[in-house]
Amino acid sequence: MRSREADVLSPESRVRGPAAAAVVGKYWAIFRTQLVNSLAYPIDLLGRSLAIVLFMWIFMNLWRVTYGATGASSIAGLTLADTMWYLMMAEAVMLSKRDLSETISEQVKDGSVAYLLNKPFNFILYHFAAGLGHSLLSFGGNLLIGSGIVWLMVGPPPGIMGWLFAGVAVALSWLLDFCFSTLIGLSAFVVEETNAFRWIYQKFLLLLGGVLIPLDFFPAWLQTISLNLPFAWIIYGPARLFVDPSLARLGQVLLQQGIWLAVFGGIVWVTYRRAVARLVINGG
Amino acid sequence: MGRQLSFLLALWKTNLLSAMEYRVSFLTQVVGMMLNNALYFVFWIIFFARFEEINGWDLVDMLFLFGVVATGFGAGTYLFGNAIRLSSLIAEGLMDYYLSLPRPVLLHALASRSNASSAGDFTYGLFSFGAAIYFSGSFNGLMLLRFALGCLAAMAVLVSFLVLVQSLTFWIGNTSLLTASAFNAIVTFSLYPITLFDGTAKLVLFTLIPAAFIGALPAEFVRKFDLLQLVQICAGGAIFLLLAVFVFYRGLCRYESGSAIQVRM
Repeated sequence: MRSREADVLSPESRVRGPAAAAVVGKYWAIFRTQLVNSLAYPIDLLGRSLAIVLFMWIFMNLWRVTYGATGASSIAGLTLADTMWYLMMAEAVMLSKRDLSETISEQVKDGSVAYLLNKPFNFILYHFAAGLGHSLLSFGGNLLIGSGIVWLMVGPPPGIMGWLFAGVAVALSWLLDFCFSTLIGLSAFVVEETNAFRWIYQKFLLLLGGVLIPLDFFPAWLQTISLNLPFAWIIYGPARLFVDPSLARLGQVLLQQGIWLAVFGGIVWVTYRRAVARLVINGG
Repeated sequence: MGRQLSFLLALWKTNLLSAMEYRVSFLTQVVGMMLNNALYFVFWIIFFARFEEINGWDLVDMLFLFGVVATGFGAGTYLFGNAIRLSSLIAEGLMDYYLSLPRPVLLHALASRSNASSAGDFTYGLFSFGAAIYFSGSFNGLMLLRFALGCLAAMAVLVSFLVLVQSLTFWIGNTSLLTASAFNAIVTFSLYPITLFDGTAKLVLFTLIPAAFIGALPAEFVRKFDLLQLVQICAGGAIFLLLAVFVFYRGLCRYESGSAIQVRM
């Protein structure tokens, strides 16, 4: 029996069917396969989502004490409840994004990249489709558990518009993060060790992206720097939009994400072309 | 005892020589990890620039805390690198190699591997301690002694805790998720001021997830001598170490060999 996935992945179907539909179809099949694969281990998925409980509990203790010490009901326009819901969304994005840099760099280093390059799909888009399948389920699990615990601690979440606006921004966040992950992974074509780049990128996200602390709490000069860097639009943008879902903010977040996506998407494309051109495969 | 120590030294020397074969990779990981830790610490600099102190803890306390945790963690996971992958050694039947040699199984398994990035943690910890001394303006020989003792105790508790959690593999099979969660929990909790947590949470941090023995307790002891804290640190280290050894060897009786052919390079 031939599955729908086999049909869309086979080279002949690419030739027969309409080009655009076939292209979308095969990446959809990769996305679906990863989604189904993740669903096969629901306990594992749920278990990994428990990490958000740990972080939310620590954040609650930290910010409850901090708000208590200042004696103010809001800091930089955010109440304790706003801060906790912001942090929940920031952590959900951070914990569910698929770090593909390690996978790609391992494939470059052990040579298995050669196996993927001769398949009838684009190496980069293949990883993106597979990563998205993983992230979507993981994000759902993190949101479910994270929302439950934060609701218990500080009360109900922001309104429906917050969820909708943040949802759109999160999709673009993953795309932007994917560009960074791919660049780090592709750096294995040039350097021996890519772990250091990965760690530092993650710390940029934690700090300048606003995972550990909302950028609103930064001193003005650091806030200006952070908002002019792409990291803020991977985490801070969607999370802040979640607690303050105005149309003006949505426009600002999408514009920034669009600009950075164009810049880094271009860099990824050029880097990938150059990396493949200098790839030497010996034997099989 | 002397024989085991010279065996350990020989293992560590071999690990170091092996790392030096890939010098650039080793140095990249060391420097990268130091930068990684420094960037993480910037959070606390920003935090205390705005809020000054939380429940009696200030930036200098955090420097002491990061000094002890990073040094203890770095030393533990560098010298006993397999402490973070013991569960996969057990689950995949890779303990056969250590069982077939006339050396203490646990010690041999743990020290057979070193993580290059851990050397970066260790070095960062020393820098953090140096910065803590500079900004606190207080230093004497005894503080150095207390720092060494605090780091040693932190290392003992961390490695013991990892061994304890992963020894459960002997009974329940795959514990990769549990190990990852336990590892995350102990490292994360150890890097926050203990004064943030209330009574029940504190009890958890001294028992189930003994992060207090890795971070806050030795950090406070390094800053100022306290006899009770000294006793707590020594007792905590000894108890967790003995418990880990006991549970590991009890579990080892249940170990099933994979009979796989293993190649060590």
